[in-house]
Amino acid sequence: MSTAAPLFADAFSRRALLEAVLVGALAGLVGVHVVLRRLAFFTQAMTHATFPGVVLAALLGVNLLLGTGIFGVLAVLAVAWLWSRPGAEETSVIGVVLAAGFALGVTLLSAQAGFTRDLSSYLVGSVLTVDRADILATAGVLIVVVLVLAAVGKELILGAFDRGALVALGYPAGLLDVVLLLLIEATVVAAVPAVGTILSVALIVAPAATARLWTDRLGRMTAIAVGLGVFAGAAGLTISQLQNVAAGAAIVLVACACFALSWLFAPRYGALGRWRAGRAAPLSTVDAG
Amino acid sequence: MLHRLLVEPFALPFMQRALIEALLLGALGGMVSVFVLLRRLAFVSDALTHTVFPGVVLGYLVAQTRGIVWGALLFAVLSAVLLTVLSANRRVTEDATLAILLTGFFSVGVVLVSRRTSYTADLTGFLFGRILFVDRREIVETAVVAAVVLVALALLGKEFLLRAFDPDGAAALGYRIPLLDLALNVLVALVVVAAVKAVGTVLVIALLVVPAAAARLLSDRLTVILPAAVAGGALAGWLGLAASYQASVYHGLRLASGATVVLALVALYALAFAAAATRRGLDRLGWLNRPAPGARAST
Repeated sequence: MSTAAPLFADAFSRRALLEAVLVGALAGLVGVHVVLRRLAFFTQAMTHATFPGVVLAALLGVNLLLGTGIFGVLAVLAVAWLWSRPGAEETSVIGVVLAAGFALGVTLLSAQAGFTRDLSSYLVGSVLTVDRADILATAGVLIVVVLVLAAVGKELILGAFDRGALVALGYPAGLLDVVLLLLIEATVVAAVPAVGTILSVALIVAPAATARLWTDRLGRMTAIAVGLGVFAGAAGLTISQLQNVAAGAAIVLVACACFALSWLFAPRYGALGRWRAGRAAPLSTVDAG
Repeated sequence: MLHRLLVEPFALPFMQRALIEALLLGALGGMVSVFVLLRRLAFVSDALTHTVFPGVVLGYLVAQTRGIVWGALLFAVLSAVLLTVLSANRRVTEDATLAILLTGFFSVGVVLVSRRTSYTADLTGFLFGRILFVDRREIVETAVVAAVVLVALALLGKEFLLRAFDPDGAAALGYRIPLLDLALNVLVALVVVAAVKAVGTVLVIALLVVPAAAARLLSDRLTVILPAAVAGGALAGWLGLAASYQASVYHGLRLASGATVVLALVALYALAFAAAATRRGLDRLGWLNRPAPGARAST
């Protein structure tokens, strides 16, 4: 062991580790709501629709988070407004906003000289180059998300399971929807420096979906999702340092591997568990008879 | 003036080839987009555009450009099957499964590409396509796929519609729903594969979603929506290419052709949206002017 360079020895990789852990926790926390509300496609659309913000920020030399943040809010408002129109079909509205935003970004990008330059780092992230400002922004978003969820988390969960009841109790359901969409958007924006626009959706959805395979309890699901998000961030970064592969992709593959293993082996809801339950079922009916 | 804007650019051979490809793909995408709309497969389409990425990379590594289509096809079918298998677990909703499949496959592609030297150029080409560089062989490939999809829709279109509107009825009539779903997913995958190399993933997802969504704003009737979506897709291909050409040649502004086609599609959607809103507004005014049915009875 003494011959190998110690992991996370320099300031770059320590900052990267901190950012990966923060993003993992944030993604796990928000992911629970994304999975329960079935907003994965919306999240995916946000990662694409914020792309013009990435390009404009690079063109104008302003902060990346500012550019993506502004376009993210615009996209959220566009989706919420189009959803409220009569006869709107949810997934096609998301698809239109996704295509429009991404195409706008590509067009802006192509108008600038040096078409391919620096693009891949926005798309798949470059966690090793995050700076203090990125980390502070991620921590800030994490604090805001924790505060908002502490304030209206119960209402958001109720909205996920029984929207009619939420409306009947007099809560402003539409406003709560927009709040949730904005939380998701802020998470996507915060995750961009670490894992990029395209892969951030995995870090949001996979840990929460994995947690849902292990438990029925919401508190436990949240804890597992946050833990898995942090684990995926740290483990993916370690693998990328050892094997010299893209860090964002390694983080995502760890998160996806956790899901695949749980899909197979989770005690009650995994494939193995359901298979055993299926085999046990005829016996239990015999017992009952 | 109009002639200079819309016809002249296509005197050049490479623009002619691009136009033929754009019209073919626009019509093909417009047709399939109707079924994407009815079955709410927008996310499936988006996922397929990403899951073929590792196939594109592997195909290229094994057999250069010749291998791209086969690699993409292999991974498209693989992901369509995996999606069906994974959806068997009811604990995880289909959209979460899709998101995980999409990003997982895409990451594999990124890892494969990140070990090559021309990393960035490859990724860019995949995402944004190179429609101005399509050759005769690619046009023929697209035409073959279009023919296959047409035949499949002619044979199975009624079944797809029945399954979309009344899945229980379709099952009661003895249709195998999972097989029908797999067939439609494979058709979507075929369009993705045919289009990805020429126009990139950005344009494919737009072609598979926007034409029908726009047509749906104008009418409730399938006999109107289908031709309108096909015409809209093809029209956007033409207008987008012409606009991109004008901007680059006469205004010194380089606009990526594929993305400009998407923006033309989105503009058509916005027009359809405005038309629908206007019609609703006029309807409402009409109600104010003439007595509503039943109004007499209440007075």
